[in-house]
Amino acid sequence: MLVTQLKSKEELLTIIKKPAFVIKCTGCKEVLFPVTEIDEFLKTAEITVSDIISTDYICNTDFALKLSEKYKSEISNSLNIIVFSCGIGVQSISALLENKKVISGCDTLYINGFQGLNTRENNCRQCGQCYLSETGGICPITACSKSLLNGQCGGAKNGKCEVSKEMECGWERIYKRLELIKETQKLTGDIKVRDYLKLL
Amino acid sequence: MLDYTKYRLKPDQEILDILKDKTSIFLVSCKKCFREFTHEDGETEECYILPKFLKDNNKKFTGCVDLDFLCNSHHNAKILKDIDFKGAEAVGVLSCGLGIALAAQTIEKLPVYAIADTIPQANNNTCETAYHGIALTAQKCAACAQCYLNVTGGICPIVDCSKSLLNGQCGGAKNGKCEVKGKDNSTKDCAWEKIYNRLSVQKSPDNNTAINIRNYAKPAVEFINKLSNANLEKRNQGFYGGLHPFENKDTTNEKPISSFPEPETVSILLSQHTGAICEPLVKSGDTVQFGQKIGDSNSFISAPVHSSVSGKVISIEEALHPAIQKKVKAVIIKNDFKNTQHESVKPAVNIEALSKEELVNIIREKGIVGLGGAMFPTHVKLKPPKPVDTLLINGCECEPYLTADNRVMIEHAREVISGIQILEKILGTKQTLIAIEDNKPQAVEAMKTQTGSSITVSTLPSKYPQGAEKVLIKKTLGRDVPAGKIPLDVGVVVTNVSTALSVYDAVYKGTPLIERIITISGKNCSKPGNYKVKLGTPLQNILKHCFDKPADTNTEIKMGGPMMGILQPSIETSIIKGTTGIITVDKKVVEPDTQRSCIKCGRCVDACPMELYPLFYAYCSSKNKLEDNEKYDVAACIECGSCENICSSKIALTSIIKQSKRIIASKKVS
Repeated sequence: MLVTQLKSKEELLTIIKKPAFVIKCTGCKEVLFPVTEIDEFLKTAEITVSDIISTDYICNTDFALKLSEKYKSEISNSLNIIVFSCGIGVQSISALLENKKVISGCDTLYINGFQGLNTRENNCRQCGQCYLSETGGICPITACSKSLLNGQCGGAKNGKCEVSKEMECGWERIYKRLELIKETQKLTGDIKVRDYLKLL
Repeated sequence: MLDYTKYRLKPDQEILDILKDKTSIFLVSCKKCFREFTHEDGETEECYILPKFLKDNNKKFTGCVDLDFLCNSHHNAKILKDIDFKGAEAVGVLSCGLGIALAAQTIEKLPVYAIADTIPQANNNTCETAYHGIALTAQKCAACAQCYLNVTGGICPIVDCSKSLLNGQCGGAKNGKCEVKGKDNSTKDCAWEKIYNRLSVQKSPDNNTAINIRNYAKPAVEFINKLSNANLEKRNQGFYGGLHPFENKDTTNEKPISSFPEPETVSILLSQHTGAICEPLVKSGDTVQFGQKIGDSNSFISAPVHSSVSGKVISIEEALHPAIQKKVKAVIIKNDFKNTQHESVKPAVNIEALSKEELVNIIREKGIVGLGGAMFPTHVKLKPPKPVDTLLINGCECEPYLTADNRVMIEHAREVISGIQILEKILGTKQTLIAIEDNKPQAVEAMKTQTGSSITVSTLPSKYPQGAEKVLIKKTLGRDVPAGKIPLDVGVVVTNVSTALSVYDAVYKGTPLIERIITISGKNCSKPGNYKVKLGTPLQNILKHCFDKPADTNTEIKMGGPMMGILQPSIETSIIKGTTGIITVDKKVVEPDTQRSCIKCGRCVDACPMELYPLFYAYCSSKNKLEDNEKYDVAACIECGSCENICSSKIALTSIIKQSKRIIASKKVS
């Protein structure tokens, strides 16, 4: 799961050479892909294009190969290939077309925890040592803005985090939840410190 | 294919510590996403180990449930709420963190324990490198938010260099191999040497430009959250699932309805509706007039067909039906271009005084069917065997390209409303709703100025497949049409706006359904627009009149929209009552295929508006057991094509579904 964002117009215009062959990978359009911004860029940037192809899932190398075969002549007639996709898509195209300059039109942003289609859940940081059993199913690493593991920092006011007023205090949520399932005694035990080796 | 292992069982001792004061456990496990879909059930190693492990340690195992995509809160919160955890003191969840968090939020009465650790897809903790894409390839991306591929010949220095250096070689490589050794003592190629070689091939002068240093502040959490929340809001608007395909309506949206040139011959199919095929009422050599009935049937579920021109019947022969792609009988008429009207084409007299039965009879005699594409005879819908309280007029037109209904609402608002009033009178409904997507503001305005007290216009945020009956009813009225049932079962009759217009024409003008408004658009279309076309007009005429060049090897012709429209491999066919448009679209780079294997990315589950699990249809197809799809509710599928559209493996799900339905139906008959 990833999120893509269009690069700045100035940055792209300095590297694009005309004519360019444009590939828009819209497979993740329903997730997060700046379709309208890309179209606007292509309209206003006045770059000569040999063709604009809208396709999806070029991260699948088989599909990328089919695309490069189908548009062989258009590609060979272009100086650049501009790919609007995540970093995977750009790399799978550039691996196929070694002697062409492949330009990445987007920046890829990292989001924690990627699953299926929706970016709706953002609350697992894949720490490799799940704490949810001790904390009533609320993750202290993501729900607490300071990722504290040993309880409240003391900075919360009226249940709101001091870092962001829009965020509820994660540890207060944890406490309430544990109260509900009568497990508050869990808070008195020792907590395992985070072992970053588990990430390896 | 790469295995995206997302979680692993916690160490034995840790599990025992977690469960130390509990004796009976219920197990919830996620069947894992992003894996080769070869087992129907989870069948992961952990599922076998765990019950045995619990038993060996004197714990009671009260039951378990395996769920698909446990993190999908829409589906699984309902399922988890319905589970009876009786006898269990705690629930153990085997899933990644997202699934565990959902279970903990949903199961309120019992403590929920994580018995698995979620592991990152990254290869080291200094960078967020992951197998990001969706296609399970080994390619990695660090999602650094400042893509360097433009200056490095498409090879990522963050991922491919062991040290993630951005400013060139460290100097430690020997013979092109990196000095850093992997866990198994393996070495990889020096990324900067690869970059240098690539750039030399490309003769790129960029080798000496200054490089941006990495800005770790760039992918700000707040920014990403804002983006993903905005996106989530858009996706979840109105109803679960669905898509936002490219609309492509701009080319024809503003084009007023114009008449399509009269064809020299028309080929009027005797089956242009759901139900019994009509018998011809004319024979070869007969002279027919404009609006004359030329085919009818005695069956209740059927609709007569009429001649759309005046002239002479040349023959009655088999012709290709554009919707079912089979040959059916058709009446071929040579047009004399006089349009001599048949005596039956005259307005009904004293319309106000007509009884319900008389009105329904007119609608039947004039051959009115649903013009949204399904072609169900309208007179059948108007004789409901159950009480109906709501008339829902469908003006959504959620298919890309199509704009005919939009123009009908703008240009024939008064007639549409009169047609609706006739339908209201027949059905005796209490409320009438006209549902229009918010991408048609003009149509909304036109309808609002015409509506009477009992008719409300409801504007819906556009999303495909908004116009599907069941989705629309749920959205506008909040009523669920159960699988296998029809709108009538929840007291609703749904009709398309164009159908309302043809009802008006039938009653107030006496014109039978012999012409309809269609959108012609797409690639290579020189005269895109909304045309009033006579039924029976050959497809060739349309291609010749509106397109620069007929479909070439890269484009294909579809009757209807690009999502649900029917591919026309042959142009030897003609316009029927159910033709909503003729469009040409680019052939897909990768054609959907029934043979590809599923990677369980779960996108089809997220997109299905009927809340089904389309991935199982692909699974049963791969096992050659299409009849098994019955247990996955294939009958409830509305064939909107959302799953096929979003499938990351390009599996031809729609054709699998249609075939399964046929097999299951034929099995039931036998």
